[in-house]
Amino acid sequence: MRPVREQLPRNEEEGMVFEVLDGGPQSTIQDVGRPGYLATGMPPSGAADRFALGVGNLLVGNDPGERYLVGRRPGSAGLEVLLSGLKLRVLAETVIAITGADLTAMLDDSPLPMWQTVRVRPGNTVAFRRPRAGARAYVAMAGGIDVPVFAGSRATNVRAFVGGIDGRAIKKGDVITTLAPRRALGHLEGRRLRDSLVPRFDGRWRVRVVLGPQDDLFLEESIGTFLTYDWRLSPTSDRMGCRFVGPKLEFKPRPAYLVEQAGADPSNIVDDTIPVGGIQVPSGLEPIVLHVDGPSLGGYAKIATVISADLGQVGQMRPGEIANFEAVSTNEAVEALRKLEDSISEASLVRS
Amino acid sequence: MTFYREAVYRPLGDLYLTVEFGDELNLLLNFRVIAFDTALRATSIPGVTETIPTNRSLGIVYDPFVTTHERLVGQLKEIEQRMGEIKELPSRHITIPIWYNDSWSQECAKAHGAPNNLEYMAEINHTSVGDVIRAHAATEWWVSAVGFQPACYQALPLDPAFSVSAPKYPRPRKWTPERILCQAGKLTSFYPVRSPGGYQLLGRTPIELYDPKQQNRVFRDGPVLPRVSDRHTYVPIDEATYWQIRRQYEAGAYEYQIREGSYRLQDYLDKLAVHNRRRVQQAPGSV
Repeated sequence: MRPVREQLPRNEEEGMVFEVLDGGPQSTIQDVGRPGYLATGMPPSGAADRFALGVGNLLVGNDPGERYLVGRRPGSAGLEVLLSGLKLRVLAETVIAITGADLTAMLDDSPLPMWQTVRVRPGNTVAFRRPRAGARAYVAMAGGIDVPVFAGSRATNVRAFVGGIDGRAIKKGDVITTLAPRRALGHLEGRRLRDSLVPRFDGRWRVRVVLGPQDDLFLEESIGTFLTYDWRLSPTSDRMGCRFVGPKLEFKPRPAYLVEQAGADPSNIVDDTIPVGGIQVPSGLEPIVLHVDGPSLGGYAKIATVISADLGQVGQMRPGEIANFEAVSTNEAVEALRKLEDSISEASLVRS
Repeated sequence: MTFYREAVYRPLGDLYLTVEFGDELNLLLNFRVIAFDTALRATSIPGVTETIPTNRSLGIVYDPFVTTHERLVGQLKEIEQRMGEIKELPSRHITIPIWYNDSWSQECAKAHGAPNNLEYMAEINHTSVGDVIRAHAATEWWVSAVGFQPACYQALPLDPAFSVSAPKYPRPRKWTPERILCQAGKLTSFYPVRSPGGYQLLGRTPIELYDPKQQNRVFRDGPVLPRVSDRHTYVPIDEATYWQIRRQYEAGAYEYQIREGSYRLQDYLDKLAVHNRRRVQQAPGSV
């Protein structure tokens, strides 16, 4: 787990592609993440929307990496842009792709088309003006962002101070450098994602879950409420956890020894593993979907787990938007993951 | 009630499952989790990518394109059935200096409208602050889980007679300074970085247990020092010693006191037997 800088077959200056003019509320360098360290309390981090960063990387000829948590390659690093405000000045010619949320990306004064490659030249400015659909946009750039690899990944975790640039979000004055592109820039032009695969974000999100591990602690009616209510995303949400506002969920009575062992609140359990996507319901109020920067251990009952294929959906929600949780089987969840991963492939791209 | 007759296997979405051995805080239960983890690692089942021991269960991450939930549960049950008695577990011993009732803990409690946490613990345990500190430093502690944040751990007392108990804050604190040691129930825990929390504050250590820059050589293999099955001894230090050690640490001159070794579970069972005998003798009305 030592930060490693890859040896580069090029001169340093060539790779300096962007200067950060404004970092916005939180823009971080992410790849698919850093699995393997959950037992030390180190979250996997990585892109909140794996599909969007993966497709962006493919478009610009980079490695899209493998699956969350169990893949062997984290793929190339790009920028994850939260909501708006990020402003970059182009220092060197390169090819980029903007994917994920529509945050009104602009190239100088013109709208920047999404889900396709765009050639940018020194002096151009790339800016994100205001969120229109979704919460997180991705900027993939030819070659991928060059920062030290820490414990197998470049993903930033601002709470643990690791990854990215000095373990923090990017800020004004930072210079973003890339590794050598894998393909000539000319060959990357005109590539785009098939229209049928471009996600439409309309403010209502279907989020599939597998019930458990502690659904047996909740009243039957409350499981029903959980699976039918229009849950609204609270503004107190981030890469660690997304909180949902709705009716209180109730628990079954507990044996006395559990009150002593786990805690007085009916939602208390003796701490156990929280998976990425686990949904805790402290005191029955405001279910929290623990996300890619979330804790691996905790003492509140978890009603369900968001399937890995739908973590990106949760990552794209904006406060006030509605989620409908739908129960599926583990096998259905695996099929959904297979479908998602298969779509992150060259076959999904076309040339315009 | 401590152990389920058979472990309970629960799905955690499509990438994890959990093997739950019980639902209490109990060292014997934790030893079982660690023994199961050790046996699983020795078997190397295809598709298993990492394991996460907790006080009472083992979280397992697996690749659903390599194996299935059902197949994995079948293989894990085989391991469970052929697991023998465990007698000894590898265990490092780490000595950690603590300035108990330090000024940061006091200020933090005050800022959140809470009484001095050690005085509060002394009061509800009908004892003195000095005795609370002496009891905490007198027992060895067993790291039973690591998680929540990098290097945040939970530890249980290896002395069954340890009796000081602490309730959680009724309303969690908004912040806690980093490197603060804390207690809830009979669990000791630790805030590696500034963070919210609800455990009672015990004191602060001048040394890091989390170092993302990996400056000291104890962090050679990773930024997190605490591991499940480590034993800790906390040594009370005063303010002057705190600053002396902190300066040493910052100059890169601090030598961590770590002993490799193992822990014989019989040692704990022997202590437990003595403790239980004493309890029976002291119980009113007992013969």
